[in-house]
Amino acid sequence: MTPNLTYVIVIGVLVAAGVTLLLERSLTRVLMGVILLGNGANLLLLTGGQAGGPPIVGTTPQEEMSDPLPQAMILTAIVITLGMTAFLLALAYRSWHLNGHDEVQDDVEDRRIMDLAERDEGPGDADAGSGDDDDDDDPTGGNRPVATTADAGRTG
Amino acid sequence: MTYLVPLPVVMPLLGAALTLLLLGRPRAQRWVSLTVLTATVAVAATLLVRSSMDGPLVVEVGGWVAPLGIVLVADQLAALMLVVSASVTLCVLVYSIGQGMADGSEETPLSVYHPTYLVLTAGVCNAFLSGDLFNLYVGFEILLVASYVLLTLGSTETRIRAGTTYVVVSLLSSVIFLIAIGLVYASTGTLNLAQLVDRLDALPDDLRLLLQGMLLLAFGIKAAVFPLSAWLPDSYPTAPAPVTAVFAGLLTKVGVYAIIRTETLLFPGGRTATLLLVTAVLTMVVGILGAVAQSDIKRLLSFTLISHIGYMLFGVGLTSSLGLSAAIFYVVHHITIQTTLFLAAGLVERRGGSTAMDRLGGLARLSPLLAVLFFVPALNLAGIPPFSGFLGKLGLVQAGIDDGGPLAWILVVGGLLTSLLTLYAVARVWNLAFWRAPHPDMPAGDDAEQAARTDGAVEPDEGTAGQSGAVLPKLMIAPTIALVAFGLALTVVAGPLFELSTDAADDLLRRTPYVDAVFPGGAP
Amino acid sequence: MLALVAVHALTAVIAPALVRLWGRNALYLVALVPGATLVWALTHTAGVRSGDPVVETVPWVPQLGLELALRMGTLSWLMVVLVGGVGALVLAYSARYFRNDDPGLGRFAAVFVAFAGAMLGLAVSDDLLLLYVFWELTTVFSYLLIGSDPAKRASRRAAMQALLVTTLGGLAMLAGFVMLGQHAGTYRWSEIAGNLPGGGYLTVAALLILLGALSKSAIFPFSFWLPGAMAAPTPVSAYLHAAAMVKAGVFLVALLGPALAAAAPWRPVLLATGLLTMFLGGWAALRQVDLKLLLAYGTVSQLGLLMVILGAGTRDTALAGAAMVLAHALFKATLFLTVGVIDHTAGTRDLRELSGLGRRAPALAVVAGLAAASMAGLPPMAGFVAKEAAVEALLHGGVVDLVVLAGVLLGSVLTVAYTLRFLWGAFADKPGIEATEAKPLSWPFLAPTAVLALAGVAVGLLAPAVDRLLTPYADLYPSAEPGYHLALWHGLTPALGLSALAVAGGLGLFHLLRRETVRASLRLPFDGAAGYQKLIAGVDRLAVELTGATQRGSLPFYLGVILVVLVLLPGGALLAGAPWSGGFHLWDTPLQAVAGAVVVVAAVMAACALRRLTAMILVGVAGYGIALMFILHGAPDLALTQFLVETVTIVMFVLVLRRLPVKFSERPIRASRRGRVAIGVAVGAVTAGMAYVAAGARVAEPVSVGFPDEAVSYGGGKNVVNVTLVDIRAWDTMGEIAVLVVAATGVASLIFRRARDLDRRGDIPGGGRTETARPRWLTTGATARAQSVILQVVTRLLFHAIVLFSIYLLFSGHNAPGGGFAAGLVAGLALAVRYLAGGRTELNGAAPVDAGVVLGAGLFVAVGTGVAAMLLGGEFLQSALLDFHLPVLGHIHFVTSVFFDVGVYLIVVGLVLDILRSLGAEMDRQQETEGGAEVREKELV
Repeated sequence: MTPNLTYVIVIGVLVAAGVTLLLERSLTRVLMGVILLGNGANLLLLTGGQAGGPPIVGTTPQEEMSDPLPQAMILTAIVITLGMTAFLLALAYRSWHLNGHDEVQDDVEDRRIMDLAERDEGPGDADAGSGDDDDDDDPTGGNRPVATTADAGRTG
Repeated sequence: MTYLVPLPVVMPLLGAALTLLLLGRPRAQRWVSLTVLTATVAVAATLLVRSSMDGPLVVEVGGWVAPLGIVLVADQLAALMLVVSASVTLCVLVYSIGQGMADGSEETPLSVYHPTYLVLTAGVCNAFLSGDLFNLYVGFEILLVASYVLLTLGSTETRIRAGTTYVVVSLLSSVIFLIAIGLVYASTGTLNLAQLVDRLDALPDDLRLLLQGMLLLAFGIKAAVFPLSAWLPDSYPTAPAPVTAVFAGLLTKVGVYAIIRTETLLFPGGRTATLLLVTAVLTMVVGILGAVAQSDIKRLLSFTLISHIGYMLFGVGLTSSLGLSAAIFYVVHHITIQTTLFLAAGLVERRGGSTAMDRLGGLARLSPLLAVLFFVPALNLAGIPPFSGFLGKLGLVQAGIDDGGPLAWILVVGGLLTSLLTLYAVARVWNLAFWRAPHPDMPAGDDAEQAARTDGAVEPDEGTAGQSGAVLPKLMIAPTIALVAFGLALTVVAGPLFELSTDAADDLLRRTPYVDAVFPGGAP
Repeated sequence: MLALVAVHALTAVIAPALVRLWGRNALYLVALVPGATLVWALTHTAGVRSGDPVVETVPWVPQLGLELALRMGTLSWLMVVLVGGVGALVLAYSARYFRNDDPGLGRFAAVFVAFAGAMLGLAVSDDLLLLYVFWELTTVFSYLLIGSDPAKRASRRAAMQALLVTTLGGLAMLAGFVMLGQHAGTYRWSEIAGNLPGGGYLTVAALLILLGALSKSAIFPFSFWLPGAMAAPTPVSAYLHAAAMVKAGVFLVALLGPALAAAAPWRPVLLATGLLTMFLGGWAALRQVDLKLLLAYGTVSQLGLLMVILGAGTRDTALAGAAMVLAHALFKATLFLTVGVIDHTAGTRDLRELSGLGRRAPALAVVAGLAAASMAGLPPMAGFVAKEAAVEALLHGGVVDLVVLAGVLLGSVLTVAYTLRFLWGAFADKPGIEATEAKPLSWPFLAPTAVLALAGVAVGLLAPAVDRLLTPYADLYPSAEPGYHLALWHGLTPALGLSALAVAGGLGLFHLLRRETVRASLRLPFDGAAGYQKLIAGVDRLAVELTGATQRGSLPFYLGVILVVLVLLPGGALLAGAPWSGGFHLWDTPLQAVAGAVVVVAAVMAACALRRLTAMILVGVAGYGIALMFILHGAPDLALTQFLVETVTIVMFVLVLRRLPVKFSERPIRASRRGRVAIGVAVGAVTAGMAYVAAGARVAEPVSVGFPDEAVSYGGGKNVVNVTLVDIRAWDTMGEIAVLVVAATGVASLIFRRARDLDRRGDIPGGGRTETARPRWLTTGATARAQSVILQVVTRLLFHAIVLFSIYLLFSGHNAPGGGFAAGLVAGLALAVRYLAGGRTELNGAAPVDAGVVLGAGLFVAVGTGVAAMLLGGEFLQSALLDFHLPVLGHIHFVTSVFFDVGVYLIVVGLVLDILRSLGAEMDRQQETEGGAEVREKELV
């Protein structure tokens, strides 16, 4: 089997365009990227089987038939992509409904930690970490005097 | 016996169909789900017993002889995975039912929840059983699409945002997997794993490396291997507690399973062993440092999840029998423990009103039972002996030291450090959320004073359970207790379990048991 | 022995209940458990003394060399006696130390007895891994006990500090154990000892193990955690941090010493760190004003001494070390308990506030005095006997030993000085300080302390007996000459003289340091705690920096990372050496190039489009182009399905895009365009390259060559692709329809956010409400053509024809292009047309069922077909060919897989119906109920 150069080129372009769209913020574009990528992958599956006549017994002689197995796989993949498309569209709509746009937002919690990193701070409430010893906790919590253990830490 | 093999997939799917037909009748749905999953556990257990006794069980679906049709193979590894995952899903189901009922909202998307949850189970089981590369892809798709739906349940703003990240990353991984399949088929002309053994061996080394790389990439994303892991902590923690729990326990492990399966069966000889080991140590260390940086319990647990995937890769990368069997043992342990911890985190959220550590406190006194339910699996996760986490880690350290190479030593050190940092991370949770004086914002709860009066009881007897029952529904506590007990049982039966995982590892490394089972008359 | 450990565990479980029942008196009951341990050990004394260890083995995880192998030799016996005896006494003491209403009492009892069990297990483990298990358990229990008062930040912090430091050492030790075990092929110490590796391997292993021992026993540079651990209640300090847990490291050194002393680093490390710790600890003890901390630093100092003696590694030092372990446990536990009593009676343990307590509580003073005498090494106490033995043993050694001896004597001077400081601080009358008020002492409270103190005296007086008990351990060291024997009186030896000198020196030092000015000038050069804090802060900072750098929270970033990995790894493999086949063909037919060009142009333009609708149309064009390529490839089924799917996709897009803004937002498009395009091109190139290489590499015949024959004979159909879908690979298809079902459910769950709405989505009466809402809906304009009555009529007419056609496609699919998917999509399109023409009412009229039910039914039919085959004795999803005659229709050739295809059909219809209901009808309804104004407002934002 030799590669079909047309397929190879189309695959490359579909994937390139798909990836470019995938890296966007707008969910609609991302979805379009997914569709293009899916098409590229399907075409790639197709290159795994030889071309020929429709694989229908009686219509095409067996040796001239195109390979049916990749076709079955592609069919499955196409339909799965359809389901995904529907789901992503619903997601895009819901996102728009909630936020007024369909752009993918950055994670808030990650942003918080990146800010900490920029300010050169630790995770903050680390009980074992640095920081002063002032007992910010409920002072009524203790019921037995534990003398000067804080002192102990310093004199080591 | 082979008629049992498809059932772990078929039964949940039938159950999903039934629950869809029973839309709007939550009670009937619940019974269908419970019945189906209980039956799945039973079938899986039978499969495990039979496959240990008679070797891998193979079914040619539809009667189509391999390699024409699709084969399902229940070898020891697959059966073991089935048993653990089915048990865990069952426990989580009960928990989620408890949560739903307690919320008094029969109308929370429970009618969507049951069919989706069952399909998720079917997908996981399918992935474990599949003996066909494309069918493995389908299995992944099933569980992924179900996970998309579960993650976005309720469609709140955070879940939509987190869901988007998760869905898009997963879609990319699916495309990569599909491309990999296309490449494999193009170069070998088959999809049957057992047949691929020979055909891949016949390919030029570099092409095989290429195929291996693509598959590793696809599975690596699903398994959350650094640097492909960053999506996980952003998405998992936002889901409802039981959903996060089942995701954390199972979904990444399906990726790990796929890595184990393909690395041992299709690409033996360890050409990517170095790569695996390097990513393993990075995953461990970067992951656990991520956990240290967090201030929210669920997020922290998500990072430990990533980190401990590194342990499993460590075992796979060593390519020795001991390493592999320890990795398998670790997978079983980690499925159980990580799920348990997320369930416990769900209980914390319910009791304390949050999982942010700076808004929690005093839980050890407020709810001693909850304290035990968190503390024991947390120590287990940190690899404190005698728990199963320690045993798995011990096996890995032994295998690493046996290996003796410089990289293996780096991994041993990295693994032990990770274990220490895990302890640091969970101990911080304990210090802040459980020990510190209660946060003023926390819901007081009627049991607070009672609990304080009767002091910190350690044993989970009905006295304390009834007491916290005012806040924590029994149906949520019971499955958590069951999973904690299951985790402890792993320690007790560690001997037989390690024997099983060693057998499974040896079979994997020999490759012939799998191939012979699929092609009794020799590979075509 | 296992049974004893189990009893401890069990008691731990029920202890809280006992405490709830009987209050603090329950501790007496709990004390019986370690007491039983003591009795059990004593009953085995004779056997152990005659060199006949008690052995017990139960398998656990043989693959890891981990077994419950227990072995009680002399050294273990000594530890068991201490653990049991001191444990029982401290528990008895605790029964009066705590108040009945102490909230943490139940937990204390449980964790304490659990700790005693772990310590017992540690002492008798023969399997090194098992030893590690108990080792870590003591760490964890100690963590819980230090945090007894968790509302205090200092207390929590101290607990964490002890946990991390000792676990760090423990993990290193584990690695050392594994090195030894993997080399010897066993983990039983009794077997490893005779099969040690050599050279650098042993050195590394020994160092790692030492790390564990030093951290556990608070030896420099790990000393700092122990004073911090004094946050624990005093009974805990007395037991864990004086008598038992901190002895674990010492015990380990003593246990492994006979064999590992041969390792290069063993002696130097132990001697150096031990001496250093002894000085630093003693020095620090002299500065303390809190009696408990004074004792804590004293303990640190004495642990250093123990390490030195046991690390010296000769028979006589070993004997001295064992005796000292015993002596130290007795006097140090006594002194801690004394501090607890003082704390209770006087309400403080600050020596600046205490005065005249000796006269008010003379009994207590006597008890403390006995223990203090032992600590200072005065005859006839146990401490004296042990120290004499040590001095004597070192005196006869080489140069190193003499240096060490000098160090030990210096340490003794410090010890005597801080002992005096303790006694003075606790009991003396101090001028200028008001005499301390003291509550009367109850005997039950004092008794356990007194018993411990008297035991110290007894050991001293019975030195020869103790000697006989301990020599079997010492004899594990090879020794040429007849060894030393413990005794109270050896005559006027040099050792005695040196001891006396040390005592005198101590007295002098104490008097020197009573002056406040001198004491203040004693500053320690080292601060281990600060190092720990720095390290932890460093880890925290590193964690934040690393996480901030890798966890960017941005989806494009994550995708970019994945894609870059794809370009680097498989792409790298591609460039490095993948076999580029020489041969290729441009196309199968030139038309492919034409279709390909269409796809390429459409895809590139779609990537650049700024308007949603344009982009969507271009993507659609690319899709149709692909369908064309499918036809040219010889895949009509694919082409048909692709065509239909593309159309349904466009319908869906239109439904959703009518709500979204016309243009994509500008913000992120420009900023990083080049980067994105670069990644896109690279990934595209790599993928194309891989496709080229893979397709050129095929040599084997594909499995599908057998499909056509089998499809006809076994699958009963001529359309090979369809037979593949519904029969050969029906299992895939089953999974695929499960995906569809869930996707449909997911769409509904996203759009209908509440289940109540979801359940109603099939209701035809829903149309009733549309009537009132219709005018507003029409004003949206986009679907104004719905007004067209003619269109509605036409579509109604067409509808049935299309549905019929779809059913034809369904059944003919087995032999000609078509099948369940295509047929279902056609039927779905028919529904779409009805909806587009007439809105919700029309849709409900056309399909008056709940989409969920259609989906469920379809899944049920498809999976049920498979199950039925199984019930009839075939494999799951096995099909059967049925040929029979019907009166009117004539010969019927029927394949059961058609049922499966019917299931597929239903699911696809259900999916489209669901999409129309959610993305179409429900979105309309939400629009209406929310009112246009609000939506417009959002659009402006």
